[in-house]
Amino acid sequence: MLQRRLIILGFLVIIALISIGIGLSVGTVSIPLSSILGVLFGKIPYIRKFVRIDVPDKYFMIIFNLRLPRVLLSILVGSGLAAAGACMQGLFRNPMASPYVVGVSSGSSFGAAVAMLIFPGIFSVPVVAFIFGVITTFLVYRISFKRGKIATETLLLAGIAVGFFFSAITSLLMYTTASGVHRLVFWIMGGFWNSSWARLLTVIPFVGFGIPAIYCFARDLNIMQLGEESAIHLGVEVEQVKKILLIFTSLITASCVSVSGVIGFVGLIIPHITRLLVGPDHRMLIPISTLMGGIFLLWCDTLARTIIAPVELPVGIITACFGAPFFIYLLTKSKRESYA
Amino acid sequence: MLKVKNVSFSLNGKKILQNIDFSLSAGDFLGIVGPNGAGKTTLLRLISGVIYPDEGKIFIEGKDTRSFNYRRLALKVAMVPQNTFISFPFTVFDIVLMGRTPYLGRFERERKEDLEKVKEYMDLTGIWHLRNRKITEISGGELQRALIAQALAQDTPILLLDEPTSHLDINHELEIISIISRLNKEKDKAVVLVSHDLNLAARYCRRLILLKEGKIFSQGKVEEVLTARNIRSVYHLNALVKKHPVTGFIYTIPVSIQNGKRSEKRGRIHLIGGGGSASKIMKELIDRGYEVSIGVVNVFDADFETAQIFEVPCVVEAPFSPITHESYQKNMQLINACQLVILCDVPFGSGNLLNLKAALWALRERGIRVVVHSETSIKKRDYTGGRAEKIFQDLIKEGALLAEKEEEVLSFVKDHFS
Repeated sequence: MLQRRLIILGFLVIIALISIGIGLSVGTVSIPLSSILGVLFGKIPYIRKFVRIDVPDKYFMIIFNLRLPRVLLSILVGSGLAAAGACMQGLFRNPMASPYVVGVSSGSSFGAAVAMLIFPGIFSVPVVAFIFGVITTFLVYRISFKRGKIATETLLLAGIAVGFFFSAITSLLMYTTASGVHRLVFWIMGGFWNSSWARLLTVIPFVGFGIPAIYCFARDLNIMQLGEESAIHLGVEVEQVKKILLIFTSLITASCVSVSGVIGFVGLIIPHITRLLVGPDHRMLIPISTLMGGIFLLWCDTLARTIIAPVELPVGIITACFGAPFFIYLLTKSKRESYA
Repeated sequence: MLKVKNVSFSLNGKKILQNIDFSLSAGDFLGIVGPNGAGKTTLLRLISGVIYPDEGKIFIEGKDTRSFNYRRLALKVAMVPQNTFISFPFTVFDIVLMGRTPYLGRFERERKEDLEKVKEYMDLTGIWHLRNRKITEISGGELQRALIAQALAQDTPILLLDEPTSHLDINHELEIISIISRLNKEKDKAVVLVSHDLNLAARYCRRLILLKEGKIFSQGKVEEVLTARNIRSVYHLNALVKKHPVTGFIYTIPVSIQNGKRSEKRGRIHLIGGGGSASKIMKELIDRGYEVSIGVVNVFDADFETAQIFEVPCVVEAPFSPITHESYQKNMQLINACQLVILCDVPFGSGNLLNLKAALWALRERGIRVVVHSETSIKKRDYTGGRAEKIFQDLIKEGALLAEKEEEVLSFVKDHFS
């Protein structure tokens, strides 16, 4: 069992590396593999002494300043959303939960709208979006906090209610102010056209620290599938675990949304597909979802920027277009199997 | 081992449990019984540490459970809950293995010892063959056995069971409880079993706590707690409580529902019976709300037992003894207090001829109406050489109402009191 899982893990890492190569190569300008390697190795100290590949400056610019941050950001966001989704589904014991279930997306969208209207700027939008995303989670959390416990059902409903409220206000802002509406619509649909090293660096700490943090509670998440009381009977500090996991998933999700907008489906279907592949054990589900999410979103973004180049599609459209049918296929397939 | 000291618990201002006080030592098998809403499950949740008492304390091995963290508590107490719903397809093996969690560090993998324990208890509960099946695809009874195996794998000195056999077939029920009973004896595991099944509890528990509206109504040995009187007070149910001649266990059979207090309003009826001839009519009359008395019956007679179940006034004679003059007098006193006498379809011998005379006395001297239930003709049930038949004929002659069927008796009763 363990061996099989390690094989899957190794296999996915290889696919991820290949995908990065393809992601860097394709685009309005196709760049050969040798140039890509040249740029990459040329940046690594010590190794660059041994690698002698001449890369045109133009390629260097495209790869290093445009494509590489974008590819890495899409992987990071995909990983973050998928891991957060797996965690939320576990927390709510519900395969239909997603990272957005506690209202982060609506809060962040509202924050983005406010920023675009009041003090637009390359950095103000993600920062304000992030802050509002976190505030929303906190609000939802406060609503469902009673007598030292978080009522999970209330959390779900409060998330929906608060989410709708923020969506309504965002719509109101969009309706009453003509300027910036266009940008906000694009922002909400999600995309990576504003990728930069700076953005990548702002997400790295949240995703890079958040996913391992969630992973530390993988066994607790498994046991919580028996129900919160049964988990307590098995020694899990349920309230603490819920609190910690909510904080980390919210930070991951808010940071992802703030740099790339509301990209749907990744956080819902990737954990689901992963569960069908490797089973429900979170100790496997979380790392594999992380890899799968990253690869999936990288491919979606690569498609989004090449499919009708030079025009770019919002990546959310691609994730839904590919994700939804595949998801439906898996659902009907697994249904047939369970009846057979 | 476990001490529950004067514990009370309320929820939203409603008192769920009040002043619960008991203790449990290693090797005990305690049953908690009582009607729905009496607080049985709440009591288990308090012991398992999911909720804390508002007043009072719970001690495990001398230490207040509030000072335990969940993991330390999980090393002492395991619980099999009533309902569990698992939405993700873990294998049965994985679910049972979760019982070993309290022994493992955060990043520790399960050791060989853990896997062996899991195998042992899966074998014991008969689910080893299901180990690779998905928990979402097995039956309710199999799931319940998996959860019991999980709690056993937790290997705690105290085991709490909340209706552990509610989804099991009767053979599995017996099997599982026998396993638990064996672990209780062999490993000195202290067991607390919550059950709505009085017979199951009576069979396996050594001590019982009977809860009523959040308070301990009675606690002690099974035969002290499970009495007809206690069952009536707590369940509002008339029940037969007996020791089974084959198994030697106390068992109860619900006979009829006790609708509030029996009132004198509908009138009082005296039954003259014996040998079980009055039992069925007694139940019917009590169900219809009449006040009933009976005399004279022997101890151990079926009618005597019925009278015990319903706690009706009863004139009793020593076992297998003829009616004494004293009992006859007492019987007449009861007759004096009633408005109708029913003479049941009972055989007469020299021992109980005085019962027949009492009926005649009621009709002749007191002017009380007598209904005679006679499905078998008096000739066939007269063992006195004609003396009983003569009194019987006098009764009919002097206006006693003759009913051949039980329904007729009941309709006479109805007419009389309307």
